[in-house]
Amino acid sequence: MRMPTRLLVAGGTFALIMAACTPSGDDGDGGGDGASGGGGELVWAIGGAEAQPGGVHQQVAELWSEQNPDNPIRIELLPEAADQQREQQALELQSEGSTFDVLGMDVIWTGEYAENGWLESLEDVRGEIEEVSIPGAFESATWGGELWAAPYNTNAGLLYYRTDLVDTPPTTWDQLCQTAASAGASAGVGGLIGQGAQYEGFVVNWLEYYWSAGGELFNDDQSEVLFDTEIAARATQFMADAIADGCYAPGYNTAQEEEARNEFQQGGTVFMRNWPYVYSLIEEDTASPANGNFAIAPLPTFEGEGTISALGGFNNAVSAFSDNADAARDFVVWAATNEEVQTMLATESSVPPTMASVYDDLADDPVMSVLGQILPDAKPRPPAPSWNEISVELQRALFPAVNGQADVEEAVEQVRTVLEDAIG
Amino acid sequence: MTQRGSGLSERALARVFVAPSLLLMALVALFPVLYAVGLSLFEYSRRRRESFAGLSNYTEALGDDRFWSALWFTLVFTVTSVAAEFVIGLGFALLMNQAFRGRGLTRAAILIPWVIPTVIAAQMWFFMFNVTPGFINSVFGLGDFSWLGQPGWATFAIVFADVWKTAPFVALLLLAGLQTIPSELTESALVDGAGRWQRLWYVTLPLLRPAILVALLFRTVDALRVYDLVAVMTGGAFDTESLSVLVQQYVVRTPDPGYGSALSTLTFILILGIGLVFVRLLGRDLAIGRGETR
Repeated sequence: MRMPTRLLVAGGTFALIMAACTPSGDDGDGGGDGASGGGGELVWAIGGAEAQPGGVHQQVAELWSEQNPDNPIRIELLPEAADQQREQQALELQSEGSTFDVLGMDVIWTGEYAENGWLESLEDVRGEIEEVSIPGAFESATWGGELWAAPYNTNAGLLYYRTDLVDTPPTTWDQLCQTAASAGASAGVGGLIGQGAQYEGFVVNWLEYYWSAGGELFNDDQSEVLFDTEIAARATQFMADAIADGCYAPGYNTAQEEEARNEFQQGGTVFMRNWPYVYSLIEEDTASPANGNFAIAPLPTFEGEGTISALGGFNNAVSAFSDNADAARDFVVWAATNEEVQTMLATESSVPPTMASVYDDLADDPVMSVLGQILPDAKPRPPAPSWNEISVELQRALFPAVNGQADVEEAVEQVRTVLEDAIG
Repeated sequence: MTQRGSGLSERALARVFVAPSLLLMALVALFPVLYAVGLSLFEYSRRRRESFAGLSNYTEALGDDRFWSALWFTLVFTVTSVAAEFVIGLGFALLMNQAFRGRGLTRAAILIPWVIPTVIAAQMWFFMFNVTPGFINSVFGLGDFSWLGQPGWATFAIVFADVWKTAPFVALLLLAGLQTIPSELTESALVDGAGRWQRLWYVTLPLLRPAILVALLFRTVDALRVYDLVAVMTGGAFDTESLSVLVQQYVVRTPDPGYGSALSTLTFILILGIGLVFVRLLGRDLAIGRGETR
């Protein structure tokens, strides 16, 4: 009596394991087999909150599947953190696996993926995509002068400020610090909070100062270093002073996006640099002192002219190992150029679209109208294959300098070396 | 036992029975180590293998300031956290070994930190120490003191979180040791007129030696590999980068399997070396213990 029961349990477990393993394998192969006949399911590997059931990426997938019953698309949900999404895609692509047809790709991965031969070129559809897309977003999808992905959604840094403490938003960084000091002192709150912890967000914040002082990292095709140590020293020194004299709120150098949001949302600071997602969260939080007392503006610059912001967002690329590349290509072009899809991103959620005309239509939306002013001048981080390495080295050089633990001049020299090594 | 007809001696039979588990252990424990050593001998450009590199990854690592500062932090962290955990753990163990009302509850309460997963404990202590929301600052009225935002205090915060989390584990091991000490020994010391400290110093601690060594071995080896506390609380900022954080960067974040494997092999050698010292001390201790009882 005992043995059979055990065998049954063992057999049952085995069957369960097999059952758990097979479907995903079947789907991948099924899509491949169907491709020879021109049909078959597409798989879109994308992560984040909006890729989950109910999210706007899912709605986009459903819309496509309705209109294209021969090539419906299914989302393969990747993890929340961008680094982990990249790892998962890289593991699949490294082994030349055909499971993913469409890759939801962070704007800074373009170079790495293209150099590794993981992407289908989209050069033949360049015209129709370039025509409708915001220049910065389009640029982030190119590498080596060639188009490797279709822009999908973008992202930019905004200056959040308290309307009950500040009348007009500052246009220069020096003004911002003066206002932070006076308004902060009278209200007993901190100045500016941003992403000052040692991680990718720190590099993004630093670049916004550097770019807004007129600096550049590379030329367009990343064959030449255009790094200016004088401008970089000015930007770095500004940040170091801002920490030392309290223009930055306490906790600036340990804050990521969420710590910054919490501080501002709790009424702890006058200003905050953050992404658009924060807007609706504070609007919904009626207990927040900032609720009803805040607005957004473009980030200041050093000279007070124009604005600059680091660009985030995701592009859709076609995997070089897809068995259904033609349908996948149709999908990525559709998602980049279809007005309904691009409008949905903004209206169903606050994901900034990449199609320029959508911003004209949504001029009444507070976030989209400010983004409409910012995005034409927003700059992508260089989508170089070695961006991750560059970023880590930039953090190691600049973070101690900003925190008064290293010499600013030496730090920017170090950055120059890193950038030169990266393309050398 | 009597000899069997099969002709295999008892010892040989034991070896046959042990062989499958040894093989399995070799497969899951030894193979990855050797594989990493193999990888560390090659030059990679990102994920692509370029050429055989000999020991150049090792010389590069040993010539890099970053490796030495990570090693320094790891050692400082290990020595301070293990020392504090030992003292506090011993106190807890002596307390839990007493018979008093509510002993069961006290034991359970002391063990709570240890059952909380480290990443969660780390995230919790990040919130406690960080300026936002800043629980510690508001409890002690420290204003906006930035524990995690300056060197020194950042290390302190990480050590503190580790001590909070693992002192109960040390206490548990020492308690097990304490309970094997026959009460007659302390009682007769009491009869001989030994004071509280004398009893602790001359009776309890010497008999607790094996348990202390086991506790220190476990904690030291664990502390040398510290990753999650650092990754969550500071991300390695302000001179708090540990060896494991450095290894993780080169294995996962900016992959260079050759250099990453060299770094992890160096870490492995360090931990193995220190572990062996403990095991040797422990072995001698157990041998002496056996010699005395026989």
